[in-house]
Amino acid sequence: MLFSILTFYFVSRLIGGAGTEYLEPYGGDYFSFVLIGIAFSGYLMTALRSFSESIRGEQMMGTLEAMLVTPTDTSAIVMLSSLWSFIFMSFRVLMYLVIGILLGVDMSNANVFAALIILVLTIICFGSIGIISASFIMVLKRGDPINMFFMSTSELFGGVLFPISVLPEWLRTISYLLPITYSLSGMRHALLQGYSLFALAPEIIALLIFSVVLVPLGLLSFRYAIKRAKLDGSLVQY
Amino acid sequence: MTAVEDVNLNVKSGELFGILGPNGAGKTTLIKILCTLILPSEGTAHVNGYDILKDSGKVRESIGFVTSDERSFYWRLTGRHNLRFFAALHNYYSDDAKERIDELLSLVGMEDRADDRFLSYSAGMKQRMAIARGLLNDPAVLFMDEPTRALDPGAAQNVRKFVKEHITRDEGKTVFLSTHHLPEAEELCDRIAIINEGRIVAVGTLEELKSALDKPDPGLGDVFTHYTGKEFERGAAPKHVYQGRRRMMGGGRPGRIRY
Repeated sequence: MLFSILTFYFVSRLIGGAGTEYLEPYGGDYFSFVLIGIAFSGYLMTALRSFSESIRGEQMMGTLEAMLVTPTDTSAIVMLSSLWSFIFMSFRVLMYLVIGILLGVDMSNANVFAALIILVLTIICFGSIGIISASFIMVLKRGDPINMFFMSTSELFGGVLFPISVLPEWLRTISYLLPITYSLSGMRHALLQGYSLFALAPEIIALLIFSVVLVPLGLLSFRYAIKRAKLDGSLVQY
Repeated sequence: MTAVEDVNLNVKSGELFGILGPNGAGKTTLIKILCTLILPSEGTAHVNGYDILKDSGKVRESIGFVTSDERSFYWRLTGRHNLRFFAALHNYYSDDAKERIDELLSLVGMEDRADDRFLSYSAGMKQRMAIARGLLNDPAVLFMDEPTRALDPGAAQNVRKFVKEHITRDEGKTVFLSTHHLPEAEELCDRIAIINEGRIVAVGTLEELKSALDKPDPGLGDVFTHYTGKEFERGAAPKHVYQGRRRMMGGGRPGRIRY
């Protein structure tokens, strides 16, 4: 983590004021921009991996069946098995921010409450995507298309390492379809520039719309996947 | 491929009911259907009065499941920690769980080794822990899937004695036990269902099953051969096709479950 942060710190010193026109909406500093990007994009990676990996881990250890025969709901077992991954990711994000501050990132104007709202919506959206991904794993066992799509597109089109305004207009359309775009934009505005909730309304509304669509979709797909796996008798196969 | 078909059984409360069949006959599939781990493609069943399809949560509250798969525990945790984890999944609060776990460890004779890692246990100890886990929620019905499969004769005998004396006689549990071991079915079960190629071919007490044979003093192996046309002890290879009417005891409509 430290090496990754330092790499971007020195890259940012190298490029200096280049690209300021693109970075201006986020405060103008590349290191601050990329620090928030790599820190919070970790939640998406965690969501995409943790749910399916928790299922896969229990399947491989042989403990899943013994868990599923208890009254605790299957969904609760999968969600709670992933909880530690999210707690650990939150700790990592905190470390990113602390190291960033030590290296000169200015968060003195941060609107922490607004950042927390964005964070909660981010986790809801990313978590739902992760549950849809886990549903595919439960049925297909391998080759989950959701994971592949979000893993491959989010870093390029989601504004993790550079502002999406750098992209040609026609490619930017893809960015607008990804929740990570609004999540990182909102987080940067809240932490680096102290935007109010009102000023963050476009990002918050976009994340709310994604949540309204993704949460039921995630729950329904997971319910269907469990039913399908139970019908196939493949619940504990991997 | 159909694993289980036309299964129609009634098991009485407090009964030790055995399902006997060779490997691949459908015993485990049937138990998993009744434990709500597999959904039947047709039909349904009731466990402790609850429908396995409509009230699967209530079914899981009513049952315990003892598998012979040693991998179903966390090997790097102690036996006690394993039981605490599964007690949490049975919605036990910490203090209640501690009390229940102590009681069960004492019941299965594992109190002295409870704080050792699971990986250090012998096969017999692992099976005793599996039984303790199956009894965590004080279930009305205990499903045991070949509980003595991995055990040596001495340990297997201890488990059989424990099941017969403690679980059914003292605790009054209904036990649904699968086995491919003829003497085990003979020794333990109040009633036996013989399953072959996914179909129940006979159900009854040992005496009832034997009464259908002309042979003097037949064993359960003879009974199995009579109903399935196969030699049980020789890998269930076909011997002759049984032409008689399928005998079902226990009532109910045939063909209730198909998977």
